Amino acid sequence: MTIKVLICDDSNMARKQMSRSLPADWPIEITFAKNGAEAIEEIKKGGQELMFLDLTMPVLDGYQTLEAIRKEDLPIMVIVVSGDIQPAARDRVKKLGAIEFIKKPVDKDKIKSVLIEYGIIDNAGGDNE
Amino acid sequence: MSNITALTEDERDCYQEITNVAMGQAADRLARLLNVYVVLPIPNVNIIERNEFKMTIKSLEDAPSVSAVCQGFIGAGIAGEALLIFNDSSFSDIARLLNYGSEQNTNEELEMLMDVANVLNGACIQGIGNQLDINFSQSHPIVLGQHRPISELLDDKHATWKRTMAIEINYTIKDHNVNCDLILLFTEESVHHMNRLISFLLED
Repeated sequence: MTIKVLICDDSNMARKQMSRSLPADWPIEITFAKNGAEAIEEIKKGGQELMFLDLTMPVLDGYQTLEAIRKEDLPIMVIVVSGDIQPAARDRVKKLGAIEFIKKPVDKDKIKSVLIEYGIIDNAGGDNE
Repeated sequence: MSNITALTEDERDCYQEITNVAMGQAADRLARLLNVYVVLPIPNVNIIERNEFKMTIKSLEDAPSVSAVCQGFIGAGIAGEALLIFNDSSFSDIARLLNYGSEQNTNEELEMLMDVANVLNGACIQGIGNQLDINFSQSHPIVLGQHRPISELLDDKHATWKRTMAIEINYTIKDHNVNCDLILLFTEESVHHMNRLISFLLED
């Protein structure tokens, strides 16, 4: 079954890099959001299951987005993808409910192993090239 | 070679994102050195004329006095300078974080300035280089001036260029009164080279 995946980043290049880094054989429908406010709007439409979320963004940043998701109890899994690799950033997003933190620039293998770890894709899936 | 007058939206976005990753690596180094959390802004990327330079440093324009160091870098046809400008009011907090005594003299402040510059400039320059597959060589940092108004500090230096790409990163430290600007300046020819390099990243 097709999974709906949301990629939220203010950078067009980062959105492209992220979508290219997802396993190629994974049946997904990708929606893009340029900031947290757009992402929240998409999530509220329903059906989104997983979001890759940047932290440093205008309008509504990644932390505020996680807070909004928690406050409104929105049903979505969030993986934070950020260049802010300070341990404090990782701790803070996990406390705010993100299931995982992946550092930028994104690495295909790292993403795949996280998706397997959380049972989002299964290990038997083909190669991502 | 034609003049660079502006970046396309995609080019600006790409430099911003590359800077975002590099400044995150630099912030992580500083955070570990000082045991703090460094607040990361969205970097400003602009092609500017010399007479516009002071206007780009918005975050420090109200600072009564600043201190600054600059450091050149070069590699693969790309050359530039990293300029680190501190609001002088930052030093008492940095001194506390680095366990200096309560009163600083100019030499101690210089030492702190150099320490922070070494961490921030180096990590940021190498971070950008890594993403573009360039190994940048860095020159030693040079003090531009201490305890001077920003207009004076920038007036007598950097007079050889007309137009440059400026990337401005304003670092602040959470719960501490520390404010500094890291400005990366790339020569006009460098921007031509870099635009070619990033075109591979921008391909669909």
